[in-house]
Amino acid sequence: MLDAAVFAAVAVVLGGVVAATARDGRIVVLGLMLAAVAATLVASPLPGSLAVTARILGAMLAAYLLWAAAGSGKVNSAGSAIGLVAEGAVAVAAFAVGLALRPVDPLAGPVEAQAAGLSLIALAIVPLAGRDVFRMGVGVTLLTLGSSLLVGAWSGPTPPLEQLAMAALLVGIAGATSLLIPSLEAEEAATDYVLESAPAPVATARPVAARPVAPRPAALRPPAVPIKSNAPERVAAPNVAPLQAVAERKPMTAETPKPIEPIEPIQPIEPEKRPRPMTAEPEADDWLAWEAPAPEPAQPVTTRSARRAPVKRLNEIEKPAPKKATRSRPHLGGKP
Amino acid sequence: MTLITFLLVCVAGMLLTLLTMPFARLSRLVALGSLAGALAAAVLLNPNDSVTLGEVTLATTWFGGFFLSALAASSLLLCVIGLATGWPERLAPAALATMAGVGVAISSTDPTVALIAAAAATAPAALVASRVRSTPLGTTVGIAELRTLALVVSASVLAAVTILNTNWNSDDPTFVLALAFLVVSAAVAVRSGAVPFHVPAALLSRSGEGLGLVLSLVWIPTGFGLIALSWNASIFGVPGDWLDRAVVVVQMVAIATLILGAVGAMLHDEIEEIVVYSIVQDTGFILLALTARSEDAAQPARLWLLAFVIAKSALVAWAAAASWAFESSNLGELRGWLRRAPILGIALVVIVAATLGWPGSPVFEARGTLVGLGLPDPLHFIGTAAILLSLAYYVRLLAVGLLTPTDTVRRAGGDWPHWPHLARETDESVEAAARTASPLVLAVATNLVELEDEASGDDEGVPHRRPNLYLRHRLAAAWRLNRPLETSLLVLATATIAAIVAFGGFGASDASQSGITLDDAAAPPPNPSGLDNGGQPTDTPSAEPTAVPTLQLAPSAPPLASPSPSDSPSATPTATATTGN
Repeated sequence: MLDAAVFAAVAVVLGGVVAATARDGRIVVLGLMLAAVAATLVASPLPGSLAVTARILGAMLAAYLLWAAAGSGKVNSAGSAIGLVAEGAVAVAAFAVGLALRPVDPLAGPVEAQAAGLSLIALAIVPLAGRDVFRMGVGVTLLTLGSSLLVGAWSGPTPPLEQLAMAALLVGIAGATSLLIPSLEAEEAATDYVLESAPAPVATARPVAARPVAPRPAALRPPAVPIKSNAPERVAAPNVAPLQAVAERKPMTAETPKPIEPIEPIQPIEPEKRPRPMTAEPEADDWLAWEAPAPEPAQPVTTRSARRAPVKRLNEIEKPAPKKATRSRPHLGGKP
Repeated sequence: MTLITFLLVCVAGMLLTLLTMPFARLSRLVALGSLAGALAAAVLLNPNDSVTLGEVTLATTWFGGFFLSALAASSLLLCVIGLATGWPERLAPAALATMAGVGVAISSTDPTVALIAAAAATAPAALVASRVRSTPLGTTVGIAELRTLALVVSASVLAAVTILNTNWNSDDPTFVLALAFLVVSAAVAVRSGAVPFHVPAALLSRSGEGLGLVLSLVWIPTGFGLIALSWNASIFGVPGDWLDRAVVVVQMVAIATLILGAVGAMLHDEIEEIVVYSIVQDTGFILLALTARSEDAAQPARLWLLAFVIAKSALVAWAAAASWAFESSNLGELRGWLRRAPILGIALVVIVAATLGWPGSPVFEARGTLVGLGLPDPLHFIGTAAILLSLAYYVRLLAVGLLTPTDTVRRAGGDWPHWPHLARETDESVEAAARTASPLVLAVATNLVELEDEASGDDEGVPHRRPNLYLRHRLAAAWRLNRPLETSLLVLATATIAAIVAFGGFGASDASQSGITLDDAAAPPPNPSGLDNGGQPTDTPSAEPTAVPTLQLAPSAPPLASPSPSDSPSATPTATATTGN
């Protein structure tokens, strides 16, 4: 009859494979949470309810921290570098080796814990070798879970305080990972900080009225996305329709020039596709023909880092007006 | 109970500081209050306190309390200095989290709990490193932090398993010991930024971290190194070919760190980089303590760790204060700094004395002992070379300060005391200026106002307000004008504390005789005064000899020196640490 530890070990490996191969950050977090919760149960005998609760709470908190970083959709894993099938094969092979290997004889814990531990450690190698911070955090978490399983297999049941320390370690790793991920929001905040601290040279150096208007080469147009989307419409609209009706019309003469259809104005850039604000003066004057969208009214800063941007020294912080001394008597005239 | 109080203060302070971070002033207040509370709780730690949680006992020792006090005092002083030089936003919560982890690690009687807690205590370094995540260095620094964390976790777990288990199915059990020694030493070296793992530390120094450097490079490596050293002699002190080879590798890293770290400090011109390489150089002594594998190295190693924590914290504070005072960290632009900031110069000299000492001083002898025990006889000159090289870059810093000041230095006020000479102004402007004073100055000024009122009354006893406002105005202006002086005095205070500890003051020599709980759980702390921290007579006499830290396994398990897989097949590896008497 299969022990509960076997099912838990399989769940650990499945969670590890999901975490190591998924591309969506939220699925990665779910896989990690499955592996972390199931790793608590790969023990014989099962730890006490308090220890299990501590580990599960630690796993959920760690998952939440990673979810907070990845849940916005801005942080996605690049997926496995070697593919799902290869990762699965590595995991299964390491699991089989763990079932057969006996580095410690006799084992103080279940052999399934050793197998699942080796499997997680094998899965952690590829993420740890990469340069993706999120995936590296996933690798460190898998490595820690695998190590804890090996400790359980080689050293026997773990005391409750060790479970608590392991939960704290998992939370620390997840917190470190979520802090170190270079998110898009942080980059935007950093750009805003640059703009706030240094005045924009384009706007102050030359007024808009004095700028020479010159045709703008397509390569120098700042918003790349809108130009691509608008280009087919602007080119096709004035040229194709006259060609289709050329047989029905009179030949064009110099006295009757065909009026040029107005070119569609450039659509205002959607907020999410808006190019990054410039922090340096552009090299070509052609930028000047591009009308920037109307400035939005000042919004209260919402991100923490942006609120932090205008750092003030302590001596620059305005002090509240001190209360007048109540013990002082009224001013009744000055002494010369 | 005192240990639980300390842990609660640290954890609650960390959480509150993180939660109040959007509110800058409140966060600073909470951070400083939490650090002060942690310092008070560490100072009041009862050396005989113990708490049993499940099967594991957390017990305090005199050295443990001293070490935690040193960490808390350094954190508090640096954060106070940071009020002037630039608030290290995440340093306080990271330091509190690290202190909590180190507190559990050095008070646990279970090696696995101690090592896992020590590994968890290294994670808060990400709090400081994450400040640069949006810079081009951010990804590199983040990856380095996570890889270091992975290595520390792996090393901790492997060491714990090695300590607990003797049933290795191997012909040569010393291979496992050698592997564990190598991994633990590598974790200490990487976490400390030892050569050749110094690149992340160097990157961090270029990221403008300022005071935050001290967490990643001093406090966390010291805490982890202390745990690694605690069973070093007992577990790794056995003979074996594999172990000897591993020791040679670590010795090479230590020598490279001692020499190349100093060379790096001499070659760089940014004082943050000089400070970082100076710290890197001195971590070589921690590696030497690991390679010594002798009980004789335990006491000097602990004394060195105490001196290292406070002296290097003072050095980081010195660098931050100098950079802030002169608005430049480039040594070329800081020519003549010593003429304008003599108190900072005195602080640097005191830091040098606390770090190097002189022949006969405890810290000098500790360094010499570590070199003597950690290196073979033909290489003992490395210790002298390290001292000379250290002196070289310290003298360079001082010599540059004596040159003709540059324009950058001239523009700065320096830390000479100044008294503002203010023209008489209207009451409104004076009142507005007085509002800019800090509450402390206003409190002092208000008292002086009352005195002035009584002294300056006319014949009918009617006081006059105008002179009092001028006094308040002047005090407020003087407070702001002398901010570099106040900062320099704080740095000097930190350096002085470091020097006192390095020379065995505050009971540091006696405290370093005792161990931490992991290697000396049942031994009574050597307390020469016979009184505990609360002033009450202790039950254990202070004349008890220091227990020899040994790690004993369960009675059915064979001794570590001769493990055999067939001897104790049913041995439950519930090793607890021990107990020297």
